[in-house]
Amino acid sequence: MSDFQTVYPRHSVFKYCLILGFFGASPLPGPVSAEVITGEEQQTGLRTWEWSEAGISVQLVQRLPDQTRAFFQGRGFSSEDADSIAKACVFQTIFRNDGEQPLTYDLDDWKVDYRGKALPLHTRARWDEKWQVGRASEAARIAFRWSLLPTRQRFEPGDYNWGMTSFGLLPGETFDLTLNIRINDHLITRSIPDIVCTADQPGNQP
Amino acid sequence: MTRILIILFLFAFSPLSLAQQAGKGLTKLPDVTAAPDFVLNDLDGNQYRLSDYLKQVVIINFWATWCPPCRAEMPSMQRAWELLEKEGILMFGIDVGEDEDTIFQFTANYPVEFPLLMDTDSKVIDQWPVRGLPTTFVVDPKGKIVYRAIGGREWDDPALLALVRALKQ
Repeated sequence: MSDFQTVYPRHSVFKYCLILGFFGASPLPGPVSAEVITGEEQQTGLRTWEWSEAGISVQLVQRLPDQTRAFFQGRGFSSEDADSIAKACVFQTIFRNDGEQPLTYDLDDWKVDYRGKALPLHTRARWDEKWQVGRASEAARIAFRWSLLPTRQRFEPGDYNWGMTSFGLLPGETFDLTLNIRINDHLITRSIPDIVCTADQPGNQP
Repeated sequence: MTRILIILFLFAFSPLSLAQQAGKGLTKLPDVTAAPDFVLNDLDGNQYRLSDYLKQVVIINFWATWCPPCRAEMPSMQRAWELLEKEGILMFGIDVGEDEDTIFQFTANYPVEFPLLMDTDSKVIDQWPVRGLPTTFVVDPKGKIVYRAIGGREWDDPALLALVRALKQ
């Protein structure tokens, strides 16, 4: 039983019920009906992976390493530090709870499955350790912290976050991502297979 | 009707639309806690202290210019402000970690009239229960945090406005 009460506008509830009812989405944690949809943006060639189930979705969108370098240099990082972020397999991530139950997640419980090894994600705390000994300014570190997907979060129905996720692999590498999400205190584990870190463009390193 | 349902399906389930959709509803917090006070400046150097606005409903939005859902909800926040300002309901946008030049440039493309405050060193956001941007709170006239929204919303949605207005009573 949730401690929270989400108050919806009436027409939003109606739309949500209509969508669920029409397409027969199943509540979690019932029979597995997970689906991963992949896509590619025509103009940029950037690829996307989206897992969704019962109104909950995690979408990963490739970021070009050069795009990430430019973003963090613009926030005050040195070219060397921005390059180290850009080469850490960074995705834009959109995590939504359009389901009916509250959920929690902890990225420290997620795993990067890479060549038979289970590796941790590079979360805020891990990067903070790096910046403690580096030269990054306070403004740069603040921007970095808030631009990453929160390490831990609780989403009521209707909540969502955008943020970057960093998987710590080199450009061009492929991995599977294991997600662990608690939905109303029931743990579900799902996998998104064959995610590809965006390849770097020659000559784009500092 | 069939055409409407097809359009609804395409809108609701395409990856692009999932990324662009606003969130829904306001979460009523179970443990009503006092809103942490702050003193922050706006772009013109005017100082705002939250505790000066006790007895009013205050919407407090934490955001940053580089945050896509923050940008997406700004126009609806402005529309909501145009309705709520004359009713004595306040709205503060608290930018996290950026300077006034960056925010000023942002307002050229996203003109808003409600106060945009600067939490340049992030000391204020660290005192609030925020984990990701944008996060918005609604504070009641007793200075208690009553509602929270994680992710963007359509703030001029009449049903959302009704929840906010109801706190005045």
